Amino acid sequence: MNSGIFTGGVILCTVVFGLLAGYALAQLQFRGRVVMFNLVLLVQVVPFQLLLVPLYVLIVRNYGLGDNYLGMILPFAINSAAVFIFRQYFLQLPKEMFEAARIDGAGELSILWRVAVPLVRPALLTAVLMTFIGPWNEFLWPFLVTKQVGMQPLAVSLANYISTVAARATNPFGAILAGACVLAAPAVALFVIFQRYFVSTDVGSGVKG
Amino acid sequence: MTTAIAGRRLRLLGQQPIGAAFVAPYAIFLAVVFAYPLVFAVYMSFHRYFFTAPGAIVDRPFVGLANYWTVLTDPAVARSFGNIAVFLVINVPLTVGLSLVLASALNAAIRFRTFLRVSYYVPYITASVAVVGVWMFLFNSGGLVNQLLGPLAPSPSWLINSSLAMPTIAIFVTWKQLGYFILLYLAALQNVPNELYEAADVDGAGRTRKFWSVTVPGVRPATTLVFILAMITGANLFTEPYLLTGGGGPDGASTSPVFLMYQKGIEQGQPDVASAIGVLLVIGVLIVSLASRRVLERGQ
Amino acid sequence: MKSWKLAGILAAVAAIGVAGCGGAGLSAADAAKAHGPITIWYSNNADEIAWGKQMVAAWNTAHPAEKVTAQEVPAGKSSEEVIGAAITAGTEPCLIFNTSPAAVPQFQKQAGLVPLDDFPGATAYIQQRSGSLATQYKSPDGKFYQLPWKSNPVQIFYNKKVFAKAGLSATSPKLATYADFLAAAQKIVSSGAAKYAILPAPSSEFYQSWFDFYPLFAAASGGQQLVENGKAQFSSETGLKVAEFWRSLYAQNLAGKETYQGDAFADGKAGMAIVGPWAIKVYQNKVDWGVVPVPTPTGMPVNAIHTFSDAKNVAMYASCKNRATAWDVLKFATSKDQDGKWLSQTGQMPLRPDLARLYPQYFVANPLYTGFADAASRTVEVPNVANSVTIWQTFRDAYSKSVIFGTAAVKSTLDGAAQKVDSLATSA
Repeated sequence: MNSGIFTGGVILCTVVFGLLAGYALAQLQFRGRVVMFNLVLLVQVVPFQLLLVPLYVLIVRNYGLGDNYLGMILPFAINSAAVFIFRQYFLQLPKEMFEAARIDGAGELSILWRVAVPLVRPALLTAVLMTFIGPWNEFLWPFLVTKQVGMQPLAVSLANYISTVAARATNPFGAILAGACVLAAPAVALFVIFQRYFVSTDVGSGVKG
Repeated sequence: MTTAIAGRRLRLLGQQPIGAAFVAPYAIFLAVVFAYPLVFAVYMSFHRYFFTAPGAIVDRPFVGLANYWTVLTDPAVARSFGNIAVFLVINVPLTVGLSLVLASALNAAIRFRTFLRVSYYVPYITASVAVVGVWMFLFNSGGLVNQLLGPLAPSPSWLINSSLAMPTIAIFVTWKQLGYFILLYLAALQNVPNELYEAADVDGAGRTRKFWSVTVPGVRPATTLVFILAMITGANLFTEPYLLTGGGGPDGASTSPVFLMYQKGIEQGQPDVASAIGVLLVIGVLIVSLASRRVLERGQ
Repeated sequence: MKSWKLAGILAAVAAIGVAGCGGAGLSAADAAKAHGPITIWYSNNADEIAWGKQMVAAWNTAHPAEKVTAQEVPAGKSSEEVIGAAITAGTEPCLIFNTSPAAVPQFQKQAGLVPLDDFPGATAYIQQRSGSLATQYKSPDGKFYQLPWKSNPVQIFYNKKVFAKAGLSATSPKLATYADFLAAAQKIVSSGAAKYAILPAPSSEFYQSWFDFYPLFAAASGGQQLVENGKAQFSSETGLKVAEFWRSLYAQNLAGKETYQGDAFADGKAGMAIVGPWAIKVYQNKVDWGVVPVPTPTGMPVNAIHTFSDAKNVAMYASCKNRATAWDVLKFATSKDQDGKWLSQTGQMPLRPDLARLYPQYFVANPLYTGFADAASRTVEVPNVANSVTIWQTFRDAYSKSVIFGTAAVKSTLDGAAQKVDSLATSA
């Protein structure tokens, strides 16, 4: 349940804001585009370990989001890697397609929604699956933000369980593997359900039409 | 008059100023969440700094480049950067090459498609602790690989051999993340227009020709993506030296800069020195990524 | 324009952030007298949780106006990270019943700990409860920033079946001297009774030396700490003897150089293990084991052998507002009665001298624990000095290189590390 809220929130933000930013960075000419794209790269390059403590102080102390779902989600809310992924896929689509839609008088938002998104459905799924994993397996951050057992996502409870059992069990590796399977199961299920959407409509027909 | 204004607006805001609105949520997110820790990390690297309880009064003098000097003269740090270079040289080309080839094969495969996809994907999503366990089972001295190799098995064994530890980690990470990069390529392959292949067929191109002349150029943005992502995640290598080689062993042969940052910054309470390592790493990786992006996106 | 706006936001946020760091503290004198509800953390291990829950319940029934709320922190390596970050943000609880003595110097430097000497009678209480054992927990400024709580003195467990198979005595094996120990180890491995004689984690984490070099060093040196009076002790003649002993175990492949996935002792891969009293419950019904003190170069009488304490303590943290209540809870939780409950619920030793005399019934009912209770009175703690973790890491790296992997000479490597440690220990 907590993992659901945690993960659901992250995926929604990643997809909506990631698509907007990725599309803009790939297909729109505006001031600050180059700077923004370099920022996308920068944020990914910076190791999380470098930011951990200042980020924790910022979120918990300055924003007062300790023991709060928002505090758990915030650092993962928009995934920079997803922005990068969307940009690269939108870049792959032929520019003429968007020009044509603009000449027809379509707004950028509707071009994004009607023309671009249907063509990058596989990328969308990749991004969802990818962001699904990050927060799902994330352990240290949610633990820092809340010590209330009731609010902790599955990974934290499991990691707790693993560290207690592994320290004292005869077969700690068995315990770890069992825990990892429980953790991986929902992701695998999601993947099996959605994987047929990986085959997309042919771009060629989009260009012609 | 109107055209003059429009011209100025064009120069000021660009052709489609709405793009700025599109990236605004992301920009605000960065400002709210990442700006402060990032600025703070750079600030720490120029001061003698350690974390204190709120309200504590401590002297935190500006020390200029002293932390950078400490870092640059520390042989352990130099070694960790060397290790990561070895890692990247093995991991990145292997990742880009294998994931593209396997994704193309998978795209063409009719049978076992679902099964193959799932089996590529599973290592990527399974928690590192467990995957590392499997790998140890394969690569420790009495492990499966050495049993298969028999007398050819290296001594000391893979993970405790100072010249093999890093290559083993590089191959492990390639294997673990391959599924993810295959997915990225698979998605990109869907957007290569079919008629290009048909045209190549008309020209009588063979499979290899088609791969080089249609597939490779067709997924070029994805190649940039895979290359840069593989490099960034590789440069941030932490979990594997932490778990697989028991803390960067043997003898520091598998330490990475991020692992040292963790040791110094979080375990040993020297976030100033750790930040200096971090800043150097970020600068290094940014330079290499931007340079490689330039090369990969040339002619577009 | 966009980028200007962005820069503005970035600057503003950074400014707010930096300003936010200098929040107002509260007067220590007022806090020391304040009563009211408090929060505590304890470790997430099941036995300790059970004890903690009953302790909190007992306190809350007696003191409804000063309610204690308890939460779990992870046990082991990640708990110091969590506590360190919480101190920085001011979100740590009043008391943590899982404070590692090795982390105390750093928490103290962070201004994250309350000296317990602030409370009337506290120093006397600590000294009376722990006797001479308390001295090692004093900080360099002469104050107690931690209450010595419980130890897990380590000894050598041996697998009786493995020993019998190797043709060694399973009831009173000769393991007292280094020569005896080596001979027994060689027999275990050469007979094929177990793959390794002993397998302490050979990995490079700073704390791993607590479970290979340090207990033997404590014993051989008659109770010396790794660093004393600002000087590294491990490169002394005694230290070198201990290191050479381990080196010969590794060189002859009697000790494993590779991390084992799982519990080598339980799986019969190693004939011996260095463990604390917690192991009794763990190996019950799994291994037919016996226990002896750690070996010494020429064999000391058992009642003179020191060992590593593997202690965890209780500390009071700076953001605590109702410190008077916290101190009362601390005394309550370490009372003779609660210590007795702790002992019977977890099998770990309260840091009190004369445990056998204080809790006679327990040791009559659980005779296996008496040896550990006796060892608990001669424990050596990690040195309470500045840069404690860095010192341990420096030592571990040198040890790993020269002893475990044997790629450098022991003496010169440890001498080099000792020089670094000397300067680390004296620089504040």
